[in-house]
Amino acid sequence: MTEVFRRLKYWTESAKRSEALREEMELHVAEKAAELEADGMTAALAQAEARRRFGNVALKQEESREIWMTRFLSELGQDVRYGGRTMIANKAFSALAVLSLALGIGANTAIFSLMESILLRSLPVADPESLVVLNWHSRPPQNASKQWEHVVHGIQGMFWPGDKGSLITGIFPYGAFETLRQENRVFSTLFGYFSGRTRNLAIRGQATSASAEYVTGEYFRGLAVSPAAGRLIDTEDDRPGAAPVAVISFATSQNRFGGPSNAIGQPVLVDNVPFTVIGVTPPEFFGVDPTVAPDLYLPLHTNLLIDGAGAARMYDDKNFYWIEIMGRLRPGVTMAQAQAVLAPRFHQWVETTAKTDGERAKLPALMLNPGAEGLGSLRRQYSKPLYVLLAMVGLILAIACANIANLLLARAAARRREMAVRLSLGAGRFRVVRQLLTESVMLASLGGAFGVFFAIWGVRTLTFLFSRGQENFTLHAELNWKVLGVTAALSVVCGLLFGLAPAIQSTRPDVMPALKNSRGSGPRRRAQHVLVVSQIAMSFLLLVAAGLFVQTLSKLHSVQLGYARENILLFTLNALQAGHRDPEITTFYADLRRRFEAIPGVSSASLSHSSIINAGFAGAAIRGTMKIGAVTVEGARVMAAGPRFFTTMQVPILAGREIDDRDQPGSTPVAVISERLVRTYFGNENPVGRRITFPEENRDLEIVGVSANLRYGGLKNGDASSMTVFAAVSQLSPSRITYALRTAGDPLMYVKSVQEIVRQADSRIPVTNVVTQAGEIDRTISREITFSKLCTGFAVLALLMACVGLYGTMSYNVARQVGEIGIRMALGAQRGAVVWMVLRRVLLLAVVGLAISVPAALIASRFVKSFLFNTQPNDPGTLALAGVVLLSAAILAGYAPARRASRIDPLAALRQE
Amino acid sequence: MGRKAQKNDSLPGSLDMLILRTLSLRDLHGYGIVQFIQQSSDNELLVEEGSLYPALQRLELNGWIDGVWGVTANNRRARIYKITAAGRKQLALETRQYAKLTLAIARVMGAE
Repeated sequence: MTEVFRRLKYWTESAKRSEALREEMELHVAEKAAELEADGMTAALAQAEARRRFGNVALKQEESREIWMTRFLSELGQDVRYGGRTMIANKAFSALAVLSLALGIGANTAIFSLMESILLRSLPVADPESLVVLNWHSRPPQNASKQWEHVVHGIQGMFWPGDKGSLITGIFPYGAFETLRQENRVFSTLFGYFSGRTRNLAIRGQATSASAEYVTGEYFRGLAVSPAAGRLIDTEDDRPGAAPVAVISFATSQNRFGGPSNAIGQPVLVDNVPFTVIGVTPPEFFGVDPTVAPDLYLPLHTNLLIDGAGAARMYDDKNFYWIEIMGRLRPGVTMAQAQAVLAPRFHQWVETTAKTDGERAKLPALMLNPGAEGLGSLRRQYSKPLYVLLAMVGLILAIACANIANLLLARAAARRREMAVRLSLGAGRFRVVRQLLTESVMLASLGGAFGVFFAIWGVRTLTFLFSRGQENFTLHAELNWKVLGVTAALSVVCGLLFGLAPAIQSTRPDVMPALKNSRGSGPRRRAQHVLVVSQIAMSFLLLVAAGLFVQTLSKLHSVQLGYARENILLFTLNALQAGHRDPEITTFYADLRRRFEAIPGVSSASLSHSSIINAGFAGAAIRGTMKIGAVTVEGARVMAAGPRFFTTMQVPILAGREIDDRDQPGSTPVAVISERLVRTYFGNENPVGRRITFPEENRDLEIVGVSANLRYGGLKNGDASSMTVFAAVSQLSPSRITYALRTAGDPLMYVKSVQEIVRQADSRIPVTNVVTQAGEIDRTISREITFSKLCTGFAVLALLMACVGLYGTMSYNVARQVGEIGIRMALGAQRGAVVWMVLRRVLLLAVVGLAISVPAALIASRFVKSFLFNTQPNDPGTLALAGVVLLSAAILAGYAPARRASRIDPLAALRQE
Repeated sequence: MGRKAQKNDSLPGSLDMLILRTLSLRDLHGYGIVQFIQQSSDNELLVEEGSLYPALQRLELNGWIDGVWGVTANNRRARIYKITAAGRKQLALETRQYAKLTLAIARVMGAE
């Protein structure tokens, strides 16, 4: 062991040692020369003589170095050369092995690099380990009568579900932030931020939409980010009344100003409020959430300018939760220590904000989390799917390894004589095993190298699949050194894994029978069968998974929408952000609609406060309870729609009329209601002419029509035939509007005309969220689409590999049984019987594999239950189908060897024996 | 240096022993080792420079000697070798074997 260590040390110090050796030899020559000179030679002669006597310095150096390299290296060289020759001699085998490994390793690398970028990477800031995120959790907010009773009275931000309805979140009232900020014993900085959502960013009259982040004055100092140009937001900038300044991202500075330095000092309009650009963030900086990557950073208090007076309330209201907080720990302070200091402080503060005993009973409790990875909403969203995918590609790699182990076992039989000869000539068993392992690791390394190419392609495809539908998808998975290191390690482990068993098998010390040319023995055959059975079992798992996901997707696609899916173009405009105000904004939108409708090829155009599929997230157009007469309507949704909405969306009008141009801001407020709402609250009565009232909003709508039912919200959790109230958008003073155009041919062909019309109307308004209705719907089920595509691919791959394994094993078995089959045929066995003899074994292997994996599939499929829609994890149809596919594939793979067996010429077979 | 000195290849492997023996008396650099062997053998044994350095590397690899940078009598930087405990053990072993071998050779030669 110490020797190995010394050698390793030598390699690491190789250059230094070489230099030392040279110096040592030079000294030797010099001393010799000095001695000769002392004996009476001239200096020059002495030099020459000393050098002559010493000989070739370089060669001597070489010889001295070789002492260290010794046997290990030379043997490795031998093994590699020999392995190379063997690989070249078995081209088909090597190609097959390398290809299947490349696929397996490539798939693993691709998934891992995605995981690495989502789950493992740190924020690109200095010393990310000392950053902590502040979160809190509390018991479920509802009281005994299911009413919300909690210190949280209002929020702007996100909760994510904890266990059993408990609350977990990272948003706090501003008061809590101010209180905690005083605890500077544990934090060097505590800073806050909150999403400024999408803003209209106008630069020199050109408007685009930009994602903004409001940050406190300590934000950039806390993250320890240095500007690419200019300066970053400071405490002085984040005060009410300070000059409005903005920091933009590196990408924005390049796209909009042609470089960071050009942007400094430039005036910009954010939702029509003038700001001055003071700095640019460095290129690698993406804020604190890898999925958001803001284009624009604004001082927190500038929301008073942009969001108006309503924002002032956010600072004073102790029960309104909105600001997110991160802190940088002082050196030497642990997260646990910081939590011990902060949690009681927060508790003390939050207790003063509770108004009832019910609220006091479930106060939020502060907890700290590591901030190094950032907030990772993507992490929460994708961590489970990624683990599922990783499990699948892991299975594929296992199948590939089993395949190669199988092929190697078969080949080991062929090389048995070679090994026996080498062993009997005195080669150490360890030495032979090592040589075989070198061969398999070489195969695996080649597989890994090619796998990297598959991975590059795979990462691109996966990023595309995951980003599907997200305009500003900022995740960029890449093959960095960490990922490549894992790939390399994986390759070596695979090589050892599939190489070890065959290597040990083929060097079993029973040399004599092998030399006597006996045919293969029991254990190897058993090993092969175990491998085939496990391959079949694993492929079955993947087949079941694919079946479940494909079924989920087809169930989702067959969901009844109640409105048109194809030939509709959607896009969003926000005239409010460009400075349009009531009542002009209503005519502005209405006028645009008419212009869109005039585009040749557009049969109708309409507008609504949101696309139907996203209506659940966009919020209702009118808030508060609604009543029909004295009866409160429960569970109905409100959607603001414009003229020709039902025509455009192809929703039939069953009675009355649809909303049209007659419905102006000044005229009678109208509504169209869905059939289910009519059935529930009017029975068989005709509701046209009746009224719906919104007492809190002081609104009274006259029902003018009845529409067919349509699905409101997403496919998975939307309401199948919800009760919907469509109000006239023109009578509701809208802010953001989503237009829908019914087009002839591909809707995306009309985007240019739309942009031109909007630019003419007001160049300050960007056209955003341009998407087809079908695309918008698919976006809501992108995960299911991704999964079913990937899984189908994986399952086909696995099945193919398992079939190759089965084919290889059966071919080998048949080759070995030539004599036996020959005798049987000579004794009168029919060809059919021989075919059956081989196929029976194939079926036996397949059935054993199935018997093992059906229970495994039943257990494993429970883990993916949350990914399924209207599909049971133990769906018998899917299981049966997967079984049938697997058995057919097995028979197909086994048929060729079986046929070959039946074609054996008894005479030739017996002669060979 | 009039007459031809004997090279040390009459007994293969004895160079290692000679180096270890030399270093067991005092720490020396490469050239010093050559000098010492030459002088203490009355110029009978001439160490070939070419085989000295590989031998030193080999001994160091085996952990029998240790080289550290130091300064020679002429005040030049040189690698000074010293013998390790393992080296002393090895020297004792080789000395015993050598004694056995020479005794055996002497017997054979005496039986002439």
